[in-house]
Amino acid sequence: MSHLARLAATAPAPVFAAIGPGLAPAVERLLARPGLRRAATPREAALLLVAGAIPDRAAGALDRVHDQVPHPRRTVRWDGTGDIERALLDARADLLGGGESAPDRRPDAPPAPWRGKGDHGQGGEGMMGGTPYGRPMAMTGADIRDGLQLDRYTARVGPFAPMLPPGLVLEVTLQGDVIVAVEVQAPAFDQPAEADAPDLVAARMLRLLGLPGAADRVAAGGRPRAAGLLRAVPPGLVPVGGRDARDRLAGCLAGRSQEIEPPDLAALLPGLEWAEAMLALASLPPSSLAQEALAA
Amino acid sequence: MIGALLLLAVAATLAAGTLLAAWLDRRLAGGGGIASLAADWLAGPVRTEAPDDMNRRLAPAWYLALAAAGLCVVPFAPGHAAIDSPAGIAIWGACEALTVVVVFLHGWSPNAPFPLIGAYRYAAIGLPAMLPSMFVLIAAALPAESLSLVAIVDSQRGAWNVLRQPLGLPLFAVAILSLTLRGPMDYADGADIAGGTSAEEAGPARALWQAARLAMLVSACAMAATLFLGGPLGPVLPGPVWLWLKTAGMMAAILALGARIARPPPARMLGLVWTVLLPLSFLHLLISGVIAL
Repeated sequence: MSHLARLAATAPAPVFAAIGPGLAPAVERLLARPGLRRAATPREAALLLVAGAIPDRAAGALDRVHDQVPHPRRTVRWDGTGDIERALLDARADLLGGGESAPDRRPDAPPAPWRGKGDHGQGGEGMMGGTPYGRPMAMTGADIRDGLQLDRYTARVGPFAPMLPPGLVLEVTLQGDVIVAVEVQAPAFDQPAEADAPDLVAARMLRLLGLPGAADRVAAGGRPRAAGLLRAVPPGLVPVGGRDARDRLAGCLAGRSQEIEPPDLAALLPGLEWAEAMLALASLPPSSLAQEALAA
Repeated sequence: MIGALLLLAVAATLAAGTLLAAWLDRRLAGGGGIASLAADWLAGPVRTEAPDDMNRRLAPAWYLALAAAGLCVVPFAPGHAAIDSPAGIAIWGACEALTVVVVFLHGWSPNAPFPLIGAYRYAAIGLPAMLPSMFVLIAAALPAESLSLVAIVDSQRGAWNVLRQPLGLPLFAVAILSLTLRGPMDYADGADIAGGTSAEEAGPARALWQAARLAMLVSACAMAATLFLGGPLGPVLPGPVWLWLKTAGMMAAILALGARIARPPPARMLGLVWTVLLPLSFLHLLISGVIAL
């Protein structure tokens, strides 16, 4: 092992978690431990933690996330039993010692053939629009706030996007970072009641407020020890039952669990900026975004 | 001879300061630390589809270059800076403004949605966040009646600017947080956009960008020490040692501050910057001007 690898081995192991049904709370508490680091993106990780049985509908997405983790990389599966922290640290040590890296699972090729139209085989109209290589390109449309013609860009986010509850797949149309339209393509995976625990909801919000350290402290049962928590949340953000996101954060920090009617995301999120929308989603108990809830 | 020594001091301060910043980051702000930089360095590179490869490679280099250029105008001993420019604070001001461009290019170049959102967000907030800092720089030049940092240090022989200009250091701290992508001013790399401008980055490129962020922390804190804490002025110990001590103290304070203040969504912060911070910086200029008279 080189000097650099020995030094690297003393760093917390960067883990990106692809979470299946049932294991969200366990993984959130696991990644708050000091020996592990929650990677903000698969690109930051060395280990892909696959927790629980990933349903077939998310198998393709899991392969894509896997291939985004840079070499040398390793997948560690967890069914919720055993000493997973040990397994992750062992896998990390093995990789740094020159252990074999997992190969790509998907071909390094566009997901669909080129389907540009335009005069020169470009996108749709003029230089814009169309779905070349299966990806919708930006196209101008009326801004929903002031009617200006601005670029609209459609993308699918989920099911393993770190800012959304595991399993939730949203097709969002954005203008800049303002959400113009939302379609819920798949609901969040079912999780045990502990996923709605106030400390975990608060920790998710704190992470989005740029306070990962405070989030880990809260998930471990401590105080956030940070300033401006409530004032950072815009007032009146996604009120449900007369309580907005700020009220929900205050309630969670005070340890009160919440009962919430499943929200209609397609109606609530448009008009919000992405950061506000993610903060609002994180303020809701995940059970309100799961299968039965959204089907109701 | 003395010029070569000063350049050496700049290089050594930047290198040692970056390592110290990484260590402090892990201790005080839950950051990755030196070991994580090494781990990132060892990871393989990644490539997005149709990236702007030139700017992708250049962004960390520009960031580091801006940190180094900014540190060059800082006096390491009374009367001596590597670049003793009569417009030293204007050079630093340019480094601040160009940082916005560099961070934007960093988010632009991978050709991916989340980094691009981070880039635009940072430009929208970073730019107005630099405005108060420019007024702070002007105010610091008032008692010295000069834009030279050597003169600004000399003007603090009687009383440090932190006492004469009480709003200066807090306003400049906001600029430092913004320049170094930290805490409440880190609009480039939010968790809601999966790490924003760094969301599509791994391997040496990620390690270099993180190191450049820490290097900018060293330069910005050295500048804060120069503008408000008398820079190399102090009894007994030689000038450079005082500068290093004050810079290290500022770095620790900024890191601790950044890890303990919540970051509102961008629109809310934008309102705060234009309606609170900017008028405060006008008030600061007024107070400093009246005191300087």
